Amino acid sequence: MLTIRHFTKSYKGGKKAVNDLNLVVERGDIYGFIGHNGAGKTTTIRAVVGVLDFEEGEIEIDGISMKKDPLACKSRIAYIPDNPDLYEHLTGIQYLNFIGDLFSVSKADRERLIRQYSDAFQMTVHLGDMISSYSHGMKQKLAIISALIHKPKLLVLDEPFVGLDPKAAHMLKTIMAELCNEGSAIFFSTHVLDTAEKLCNKIAIIKGGQLIAHGKTEEVKGKNSLEDVFMELIDND
Amino acid sequence: MINIWRLTKIQLLSAFGLNKALHTQEVKERRKLLLLSIAILIGVLMIAVFSFGYSYAMALAFEQIGRVELLLAIMMAVTSMVGFFTTVYKASGVLFSYKDYDLVMSLPVKTSHVVASRILQLYVLNLFFTLMVMLPAGAVYALQAHPEAYYYLLFLPAMLCIPFVPIIAATVIGALISWFSSRFRASRMISLVLTFAAVIAFMAGSFTLNGNGQEELADLGTGLADTIYKLYPLTAMYVDAVCNYRIDSFILFILLSVLSFVIFAAVLGSRYKAIHTGLMTSHAGGKYTMKPLKASTVFHALYQKELRRYFSSSNYILNTSIGMVLLLMSSVSLLFISPEQLGEVAKIPELQHYLNTLAPVFVSMFIALSCTTSSSISLEGNNLWILKSSPVPKHIILLAKVAVNLTITVPITMISCVLLIISLRTGWMDSLLLLVIPVIFACFSALIGVMVNLKLPKLEWTSEVQVVKQSAAVLVAMLIGIISLLVPAGLSILLTGVDGKIILLGAAVIMIVVSLGLYRSMKGNGERLFRGL
Repeated sequence: MLTIRHFTKSYKGGKKAVNDLNLVVERGDIYGFIGHNGAGKTTTIRAVVGVLDFEEGEIEIDGISMKKDPLACKSRIAYIPDNPDLYEHLTGIQYLNFIGDLFSVSKADRERLIRQYSDAFQMTVHLGDMISSYSHGMKQKLAIISALIHKPKLLVLDEPFVGLDPKAAHMLKTIMAELCNEGSAIFFSTHVLDTAEKLCNKIAIIKGGQLIAHGKTEEVKGKNSLEDVFMELIDND
Repeated sequence: MINIWRLTKIQLLSAFGLNKALHTQEVKERRKLLLLSIAILIGVLMIAVFSFGYSYAMALAFEQIGRVELLLAIMMAVTSMVGFFTTVYKASGVLFSYKDYDLVMSLPVKTSHVVASRILQLYVLNLFFTLMVMLPAGAVYALQAHPEAYYYLLFLPAMLCIPFVPIIAATVIGALISWFSSRFRASRMISLVLTFAAVIAFMAGSFTLNGNGQEELADLGTGLADTIYKLYPLTAMYVDAVCNYRIDSFILFILLSVLSFVIFAAVLGSRYKAIHTGLMTSHAGGKYTMKPLKASTVFHALYQKELRRYFSSSNYILNTSIGMVLLLMSSVSLLFISPEQLGEVAKIPELQHYLNTLAPVFVSMFIALSCTTSSSISLEGNNLWILKSSPVPKHIILLAKVAVNLTITVPITMISCVLLIISLRTGWMDSLLLLVIPVIFACFSALIGVMVNLKLPKLEWTSEVQVVKQSAAVLVAMLIGIISLLVPAGLSILLTGVDGKIILLGAAVIMIVVSLGLYRSMKGNGERLFRGL
């Protein structure tokens, strides 16, 4: 579903934020992407969803090159950034309808899916309010609903559990599992190693812009906890 | 007190991309900012040269009646009026609408000092204009009147105080409007309507004052001084201090200026949090039930979103639709004053002829002031990820922004043009040009705005005013728009042998060609430029 080949991103001054990263996310995968602050997680994620331009390497979504056909790639992706800055001048329902229009979701589908996910996240009664009146957690929930209403093949999330209350976090995990059972894939970054360990079937650890471990969760962590492995890998180099 | 300066410095660093220019490592970015600085410097120099020439011509006229000091009086009054006018509709935005409010207010700084720093931001921005007008005027006065050394000692500190009272007066009005509006649920809309009402009342008041004093204005004697002093009494105090070396007037002028600032900061400081809370709090009903939704095309969805963005921001509306308000006001006023009467008042015998020929340029000038696109991309700010990650061709996003600009400018322009056709009694050719050229210019201006904003984005901002009023893209787009109009206007005045209509027609054709080129470039390079944001 997602193939990253030799992806390299340099910032001003020539410093490489990500260096020669290779990674494959397959259908049904819940792929956790972990690393400390500034390791290159967000840079990689932003390039994957087509928000960040890159020169070196290749990123393919469902076999389509992000460089050659970004619109086709984006129509298959849903992205939730770490800080959900949404249009504060819109009401929740106006925002969801707007996203539905951009992703050409049919009227029947968008009504059904908005109802389904809004009820699940207990957001329905708030959809008529301006987003400016929402708390951080409510904005996060709205961003998640907007990502789900166009039935993405690849769901990309940057720190999705930050700001969510325990019930909403549980709901999100359930939905992530359901999506994968239906054939979609999920690629997300997190600092919550416990969650990553329980939720993900595959894990990648990035340090200083380079992947230092990746593969099936059991293989990466072995008999230890993910936290122990992560600390060891990060401290060793 | 040092905290006031610290807070002001932080705000000013982000204005005009100054901090970015100082710290960017990218060569391309530096080159762009260097070129921009040079362009702004040339613009400032041009205004200063023009201001000097204008002051010199005025000084020669006043010298004949032995009243050279009137030059400083007029320039001071003009500076103050412009300062007041340009501040009244952005005061509320600068004072209350900024994203780092929570951060700033949580600092161990007095609220009155926070208010003072916000007013100082307005002061510094106005000071640029004051310097551009008053320094050349002061130099001309020195050349013509050969004043004593006291003049030089008094002129500079007095000049630095000129913007205070007009700014405070405008800010008082802005704060009162905000305070009143903050008590209602629809606070932003009420604030917007009241600010427009204040601007229109101020302009109408100025016109009435001028209208009553037509005879005195025509007479370059004591009547003119009386009119100016009546209009703004501090002018008399200023002239007395600087030209007559009256220390008591000088001290009083400085004291009034500084005290008005200190008292206002202290008074507003006591109600600041309550006003901010009232203005910024959104009402949450929490009673929504699912209703049938309406699906739209991508373009229509983007257009609706952009239109809602426009009407949700009083700063955006005030700063970009003031041109349309002024245009409509001018067009309505001309229904009641015939061009002949206007020509007599302005002492321009052929005013009717010039007005008929140059009316399309006159109307287009107001459109140049109403360019919403030049800040529309910057205003996306932290929301840009939504559009960047959406599967939408980026030129559609840009076209939606252009369409919103045209929605704001074209209907009012058309109404104003029809009113002008009636009041100016233009012939069929002039009427046709009056109807067509402003619409072409509206398209040209909106497209220029988008492309300039793509090249000069300002996505990190704390207050919308920084984008709508102080960003490089807005300045450059406005400058391009005005120059595009001044060139044909100048040519039709200078080339007396050529019919002005032909020149305007030629300009219109060039604008169409450039607009088509911009549209093509938007389709071709828009995607790349948008992705590079």
